[in-house]
Amino acid sequence: MGGLAAEKHIQYILTVEKRKDDFVSVVMEHLRMSGAYWGLTTLDLLEKLDTVDVDEVVSWVMNCQHESGGFGGNIGHDPHILYTLSAVQVLALFDKLNVLDIDKVTNYVAGLQNGDGSFSGDIWGEVDTRFSYIAICCLSILRCLNKINVEKAVSYIISCKNLDGGFGCTPGGESHAGQIFCCVAALSLTGSLHHIDKDLLGWWLCERQVKSGGLNGRPEKLPDVCYSWWVLSSLIMIDRVHWINKEKLVKYILDCQDLENGGISDRPDDAVDVYHTYFGVAGLSLLEYPGLKAIDPAYALPVNVVNRIFFGR
Amino acid sequence: MDLLLQFQHILQSDPLIDEVGFVHPTQFATLTEDSTGDAAISDGTTFWCRDHKLGVSTQAVLPLYNAAKRAFIAAMEEYKRLGDDGLESEVMKHSKALLLLSSDFGTAWNSRKLVVSKKQQLSMYMGELLLSALVLSCSPKSDQAWSHRRWVIKSITGKCSALQEILGKESELVEKIAERSKMNYRAWNHRCWLVSYMTREQVMHELKKSRNWAGLHVADNCCFHYRRRLMLQILKDSTCKLENASPGYSVEVSEVWKEELDWNEMLINRYIGREALWLHRRFLSLCWMKQFATNLHDVSCHSDLKISTSDSFNSFIDNELHLLNSCSTILDNDFEDFQAQATYSATYILWLTKQIPEFWSEFQEKLTIGNLKTMLSKVCPERSFLWDSLID
Repeated sequence: MGGLAAEKHIQYILTVEKRKDDFVSVVMEHLRMSGAYWGLTTLDLLEKLDTVDVDEVVSWVMNCQHESGGFGGNIGHDPHILYTLSAVQVLALFDKLNVLDIDKVTNYVAGLQNGDGSFSGDIWGEVDTRFSYIAICCLSILRCLNKINVEKAVSYIISCKNLDGGFGCTPGGESHAGQIFCCVAALSLTGSLHHIDKDLLGWWLCERQVKSGGLNGRPEKLPDVCYSWWVLSSLIMIDRVHWINKEKLVKYILDCQDLENGGISDRPDDAVDVYHTYFGVAGLSLLEYPGLKAIDPAYALPVNVVNRIFFGR
Repeated sequence: MDLLLQFQHILQSDPLIDEVGFVHPTQFATLTEDSTGDAAISDGTTFWCRDHKLGVSTQAVLPLYNAAKRAFIAAMEEYKRLGDDGLESEVMKHSKALLLLSSDFGTAWNSRKLVVSKKQQLSMYMGELLLSALVLSCSPKSDQAWSHRRWVIKSITGKCSALQEILGKESELVEKIAERSKMNYRAWNHRCWLVSYMTREQVMHELKKSRNWAGLHVADNCCFHYRRRLMLQILKDSTCKLENASPGYSVEVSEVWKEELDWNEMLINRYIGREALWLHRRFLSLCWMKQFATNLHDVSCHSDLKISTSDSFNSFIDNELHLLNSCSTILDNDFEDFQAQATYSATYILWLTKQIPEFWSEFQEKLTIGNLKTMLSKVCPERSFLWDSLID
């Protein structure tokens, strides 16, 4: 079995960034901020962030900010909490949080909390536990968690817990590994993991591993590299990662690489994209694969970046 | 004629178009040949429309998208600058074209919300449900399109007398889309979300109606989850409103559970090795034991719901052990489904004993625990890490 084709993946990320004219890159333009976060974090995990022009990225990010304080997915697009977190994460990667008007951003995020403790994604009011995580993660990075009602935020997340131990988008929603990551990470960041039955949730999560070694996100689904992140980070946070077979998962992720042109896909032999490349590399980092920086399972940022934020250099 | 104008002209000339799809140029040729008669609108290379179905050539998608985006952004800028009512139709026209080509372009959905919420006309809200359904016909997983529907429903709640009827139609739409787009989380999540707006009668009706679909799609965990959502709603209503409910209501609720357990067992025996069926059974049994079986100490619910027959707990356990025995016989070693069935049945029992410790002692009397571990290690060695931690 070959190892991680790190050089190829670096080249892939750098070329995909410049590609702007085919349909795939064009239909993704509304979420370019998240794309930037996936690509740049991958580069950082591979110790190659210095190949990027910092000023260019920072000025583009700041051009996506609105008067409200929120960020859009690209220049000219409406602000949304999703892209606000991506923007903050990108700036954190480059140690450029100081360019932000912290009050402005955190007031935007805090202003999206509803009476029941949940969070809306933007002014139009869609509610989802993803937005709870985003708000808590964003405010925690900017050290302004005191601007929201944390207790209510936690109790809303708990109200989305199912009898199988997992979490959905809203109360009564089906358990999904992506939502579970959001809820577990939000509880972790607020010191509320005691609300989770770790054996029960850990059981559901480790049942996501299929025969090939890959992980799926829900029962009866095919495995997908992105769940290497969602499931694995959740298992780590609740201290049950020893319940899955790590060697088989490493092999599965490596099997999803495009060894010729770089990049990682959802399943072996599928087309690669930045999203799966990031989650594949991040998953390998959680699995302590050699040559990769360690990533923090709750902040989804390299550990050294998190340490820099909270402990200075 | 300009590509975007042509596209918008077709959309406007047939307001009943209910499906849009993208067609490869090679398929396009056959489509055009097949569509003899006068009903089809087609220029032979880019658009094809008949019976309210619109096909767009994949080759035209990129230039069309670029044109729609430019037109939308220009219209939106003018609208914001002048605040002129006359520009609303431009915003609506261009955002529609754009969303059919890029369904998650959030800013375009938002522009429509802005226009519609200013007008506050019920017909415009209904129009948004139609557009979103059209977008879902080609992008059934579009998060934004589903979210737009919830925005409409939240906006008209309290203002529209036909809400219950609309909810029924929403539920049907999800089922229609789920038929073509299997295990579509976004679609089923929408259906689950609707439940909190439903009356008790509607919830009961939905439970009845979705059974047939679930029986035909036994691998689709989403539909079983939807049934769990409905059943929990029924249970919640029964515990909250017990004083107001008819005397037979608590019996009715336990009947719902009993029926579902029997039906699930039938499906498990018919469709070998289906994970979704066994997960559904975990849920059903857990609730059954906690809510209705008499021997349990947990009285979190109203005691009237407990079944009075004292042996219900024991007969339940006997039944589940019987099921375990019949499912753990691997008839054919070469057939993976039997192995899966054995694994699911053993994990099901183990799971229940962990959730309901009372079950553990009853269970131990009837089956030695060592057997379960041996069995799991044999049929499912890949999860030995889990078995080792759980069974000591």
